[in-house]
Amino acid sequence: MHQTNSKLRFRTKSVLTGWSFVLLAVILIFVFYFYPMLQALILSFQTGTGSNLTFTGFDNYSRLLSDKTFIVSVKNTFIYLLVQVPLMIILALFISVLLNDSKLRFKGFFRTAIFLPCVTSLVAYSVVFKYLFSGNGLVNTMLLKLHLVSAPIEWITDPFWAKITIIIAITWRWTGYNMIFYLSALQNIDHSIYEAAKIDGASSTRQFFGITVPLLKPIILFTSITSTIGTLQLFDEVMNITKGGPGNATQTISQYIYNLSFKYAADFGYAATVSYSIVIMIALLSVIQFKVAGDKNG
Amino acid sequence: MKKGFALVLICLLLLTACSSNSGSKNSGNTAGDKGKTENTAATEPAQAKEITIWAWDPAFNIAALEVAKAEYAKTNPDVKINIVEYAQADIIQKLNTGLNSGTTKGLPNIVLIEDYRSQSFLQSYKDSFYDLSSSIKGTDFADYKSGPTSLDGKQYGIPFDSGVTGLYVRTDYLEQAGYKLADLQDIDWKKYIEIGKAVKEKTGKALITLDPNDLGLIRVMIQSAGEWYLKEDGKTPNIAGNAPLKEAFETYKELTESNVAKVHADWSQFVAALNSGDVASVPTGNWITPSITAEASQSGKWGIAPLPKLTVNKSVHASNLGGSSWYVMNVDGKETAADFMAKTFGSNVEMYQKLLTDIGVIGTFKAAAGGEAYSQANEFFSGQKVVSDFAAWTEQIPSVNYGINTYAIEDILIVEMQNYLNGKDIDSVLSDAQAQAESQIK
Repeated sequence: MHQTNSKLRFRTKSVLTGWSFVLLAVILIFVFYFYPMLQALILSFQTGTGSNLTFTGFDNYSRLLSDKTFIVSVKNTFIYLLVQVPLMIILALFISVLLNDSKLRFKGFFRTAIFLPCVTSLVAYSVVFKYLFSGNGLVNTMLLKLHLVSAPIEWITDPFWAKITIIIAITWRWTGYNMIFYLSALQNIDHSIYEAAKIDGASSTRQFFGITVPLLKPIILFTSITSTIGTLQLFDEVMNITKGGPGNATQTISQYIYNLSFKYAADFGYAATVSYSIVIMIALLSVIQFKVAGDKNG
Repeated sequence: MKKGFALVLICLLLLTACSSNSGSKNSGNTAGDKGKTENTAATEPAQAKEITIWAWDPAFNIAALEVAKAEYAKTNPDVKINIVEYAQADIIQKLNTGLNSGTTKGLPNIVLIEDYRSQSFLQSYKDSFYDLSSSIKGTDFADYKSGPTSLDGKQYGIPFDSGVTGLYVRTDYLEQAGYKLADLQDIDWKKYIEIGKAVKEKTGKALITLDPNDLGLIRVMIQSAGEWYLKEDGKTPNIAGNAPLKEAFETYKELTESNVAKVHADWSQFVAALNSGDVASVPTGNWITPSITAEASQSGKWGIAPLPKLTVNKSVHASNLGGSSWYVMNVDGKETAADFMAKTFGSNVEMYQKLLTDIGVIGTFKAAAGGEAYSQANEFFSGQKVVSDFAAWTEQIPSVNYGINTYAIEDILIVEMQNYLNGKDIDSVLSDAQAQAESQIK
């Protein structure tokens, strides 16, 4: 009896000690993560401007489905997602394989150069892009000088070109970031596999598709999920380069949330509802990506 | 066991230490202010020694505040006034988040708010703004300012800059096309485009520069006819069947299709278009004057004509674009803040002369317009008495109710404008916009 008692006491003691170690983190996570999320969820069932909020049940959610601006924002965001994410991932993969080549000289320089865009400030680079692509900006001047176009392209004020500008901007900013993941993964692939393939007479294209891509699959999955999440939350570039325009041709969901909260009469309830729509979309897309690409590793 | 307890205790201690630390950091300022208020409360009831003001635009609003601060210091040397500059968008965010959080800590005593947005703040955060009815008289200011700055019969804002519009034109380009400034005295927008075509033909310069994301020109046009995106009540969308709005849309399309318009994407490109001489005219608020006169080499080449008018609804040659006003927050120090405003922007005719000559601010304080600074000739505009013109137009601006949804509706209209320019029928453009506005604004 005495023995079981002390055993019990020892167990409670170790549990308590364990908890005391993580207590701080747990409290902080609850206060700064779960509490705001819960608050936002509650907020999403309320409507009104500023602090005059009243509970209106699922009103905001039904408004969401008939809201043209929201639907356009979702459409735009998905265009970025479908065009830019695959483009960037393929580009990052391609560059990382090139930079991993043992015969390449000045490797450090190239790696740094391609990674540098991701350490620049989002706002600063957006503003620079805005000027590069403006009506009489550097890009148009160069295209005109090289006689590639006869009139300046309206990069920012034309609905189609504005989307292209945003896609170019985010590709420039994030390709290097993904490349770093691929580079580190590539360095973990045993060289002997490639040597064996070479002996068997596999071409370098064959090696790339037969060895590199399958072995990088978990990393490709990781980067495509993080890029998807990033794109669904896209805000800075659009806000600073086109402000969502012309019309709402480049507006993203995040920018719509900003507009609802701060540009129009502050409708925080509906803005929270739109935010939750992003949560739902990210969750769904991540599940799909895991199912499609994850197989056993997922 | 003891050790475990000790650990838990340490953790808790750390937590409370952290929270109290950050708490005191945040409230440090206000706690200090409070201390001061309490101290002074004993001697001078309800007088704060320090007030904070938020505003944007160092060359205009902040400069005006500096003048007012110096003026107030003459009679109240012991009051410290902190002027903080933020971008307008930042002020809106800070106000919204601050007011919405339910704590008044970190809010200023006085804040500048654009007239188009003021009602959304006054109505969304009732009791957060201080009623100034006893400090200033709304009727002392231009009539069209009373809509944005008052609510339920109470005066909350001190009307500030006028935003009165005029048609700035390059007289040299006009002359090359065979026109004089006098030819622009009583014209409508159709005539304006006609002149623009002649200017384009003779000089190759664009008549106007437009930002597809900013329908300021549409706002100017409809207010000149006494209409707005919303009906009188400030709530019901007024888009389908709004004759001035329809004519404004048609004029806008004509401007873009008759090849007299240039496109810009932001403020710096806008100003660059004017300063480089690429554009022959700009119909806009008087606050553009400093940006135009900044290009000294163009002195004598600009003139200001009355705004062209629409053909419907008794449209006049006067309108408003983006004026703003001061608001006193309902926080500690409000009495001092109200006193500061009442003694400067609310009554000081002399100060308004100084604001005009030193900074170029055209206020909306009626009595100030009689001062001599208002009748001064401006050399840059070939000796034209531009300010007295603007002051006269200010009195004619039709009063409309901006409501709380100006920018929400404008975003809908920007999209429909693109559809219209791409060939959609005007009536369905307006009725679609009306339907969307109705579903979006509740």
